[in-house]
Amino acid sequence: MAVLVFAAPAVAGEDLEDRMREVASGLRCPVCQNLSVADSSSEMAREMRALIVDQLRAGKRPDEIRAYFVSKYGQWILLSPTPRGVGLVVWIVPTVGAVAGLGGAAWLLRRWSRREKSPLPPVDVSALSRIREAVRADDSLVALAPEEARLVEALRELRFDYRAGKLSDGDYEELRTLYETRAAAALARPKRPRPERAAAGASVPEAAAAGAAPRPARPWRWVAAALFLIGFGATLGYFLPQSVRARGEGSPTGDFLTGTREEAARAEAPDLPVLLERGRQAMEAGEWDRAIGFFRRALEADPDEPTAHASLGLILHRAGHPDRALKSFERALARDPASPQALWGKGLVLYESLGKTAEAIRTWETLLAQEISKEDRDHVLSILAEARQRLVAQPGPAARSPR
Amino acid sequence: MAWKRLAFIFAVGVPLLAVLAFGFTRDPREIPSPLIGRPAPAFSVRLTDGREVSLSDLRGKVVFLNFWASWCPPCRAEARALEASWQRHRDGDVAFLGINMQDREEAAREFLREFGVTYPNGIDGGNRIAIDYGVWGIPETFFLDRTGRITYKHIGALGAETIHAKLEEARQGVQSRREGKGEYQSIR
Repeated sequence: MAVLVFAAPAVAGEDLEDRMREVASGLRCPVCQNLSVADSSSEMAREMRALIVDQLRAGKRPDEIRAYFVSKYGQWILLSPTPRGVGLVVWIVPTVGAVAGLGGAAWLLRRWSRREKSPLPPVDVSALSRIREAVRADDSLVALAPEEARLVEALRELRFDYRAGKLSDGDYEELRTLYETRAAAALARPKRPRPERAAAGASVPEAAAAGAAPRPARPWRWVAAALFLIGFGATLGYFLPQSVRARGEGSPTGDFLTGTREEAARAEAPDLPVLLERGRQAMEAGEWDRAIGFFRRALEADPDEPTAHASLGLILHRAGHPDRALKSFERALARDPASPQALWGKGLVLYESLGKTAEAIRTWETLLAQEISKEDRDHVLSILAEARQRLVAQPGPAARSPR
Repeated sequence: MAWKRLAFIFAVGVPLLAVLAFGFTRDPREIPSPLIGRPAPAFSVRLTDGREVSLSDLRGKVVFLNFWASWCPPCRAEARALEASWQRHRDGDVAFLGINMQDREEAAREFLREFGVTYPNGIDGGNRIAIDYGVWGIPETFFLDRTGRITYKHIGALGAETIHAKLEEARQGVQSRREGKGEYQSIR
């Protein structure tokens, strides 16, 4: 019965949804940041999911649907790229890394455990019997050196635990042998310095003797480490600001970490000419958002700055907001009635967007009365000629234009 | 021993760093289109005036195919340049076709009215045409030569000069190696 149910080509609701999710979760949503088509709530992802459902209904296999998306968006669309060509790297490197890591860890563990087990020194039999005697005797430990006393104490506790049934035979045997050997070794060590130490205070820890051997100095190690660190820092410092783009207000750190030019400008030189120049450069580069930012800040410094108003007007005109653009030009002209940029922009808005050809012509004629470069003058003259022609050809807008 | 260790650290660390550095210089959101040089996917779309047009009707003409939405600022920015280019090329063997996507129909009509767009525009309801063309960040524009092959794709707002140049290339069947990027674009 169950076999029949599963074998049937189930196209019904839930199963279809599951199969859609299986395909969609392997596809990268093209309008999101690192989200799969299955997880994204964007309109694009929603429609991609609908498309997957349609194709599944039409009897397409999941890999055919994936191939369809790859043919449209390239390998980019796959969250796990196919193991071929460059894509092979992402599959191989983690595997190699994991194998190397595990191998390295195993090697280290083996080395450590070998180091711990190996050096049981040859035992002095008489010392061993003395220790056993001391453990059995249960008398005071004052006669012994601190290290010996500690080991004897440990041996006694061990014996106590064993008798109380807390230790198995094997464990007891192993631990006892270890402690006895160590104690015997301690006992067998040269005894001369001991009385002095006991006289000095009797509580000197046993480690004091061990760690004092001076290591040979290796300055080149430090030099190599420092060079590596400097190289790492320089590489990071060079690539990070290049690659991380300004996030502005969307990021919790703002532009602070990315060290973008705007931030630097804000910190060091908020003076007007610099802002206007930067804005002009941004405009020339077609970076409208940045340009707007610079001009806004220029207006914070001087709310009536004509160049900033005129430039913002040009951007607004470009973005298709003729009314707001016109306002900007008017504000610029209110301060500086001869501003060539504002006159040019105002004429452009009137001519191109609002159809007020006659008014545009008047504005441009004012512009020609100003001092402008030959190139600009020729450009204005040519568009003026065009506007005059239009005025003649279409009396309609011309009749409407005078207010 | 120490030299060996140092060499090992460098042998592992430097390539790792190089891979990271390379990764940082890439834009993870850029999707290189595999469609350039391939035949444009066929479609048929309902125009805003109610007519139905299919791509095969435009065979034999150079086609300028522009995906846009009314909410997208760069689409607004390029709208005038597109209309101006249409006026310039309309008498030639060029067909302009706008495809509105991810949008409401009233908003799209309002947009066309506002910018006085006169070339035909279709409404891509389920974004199926857009997905078929691998569209991700509008505006995106495809240039098709007379045989219906995609010669160029542009992402972001277009200027009149680029349109003119790329139409000329498409007319001569010159195929660009890869897509171009415009000034700015919208993603939603």
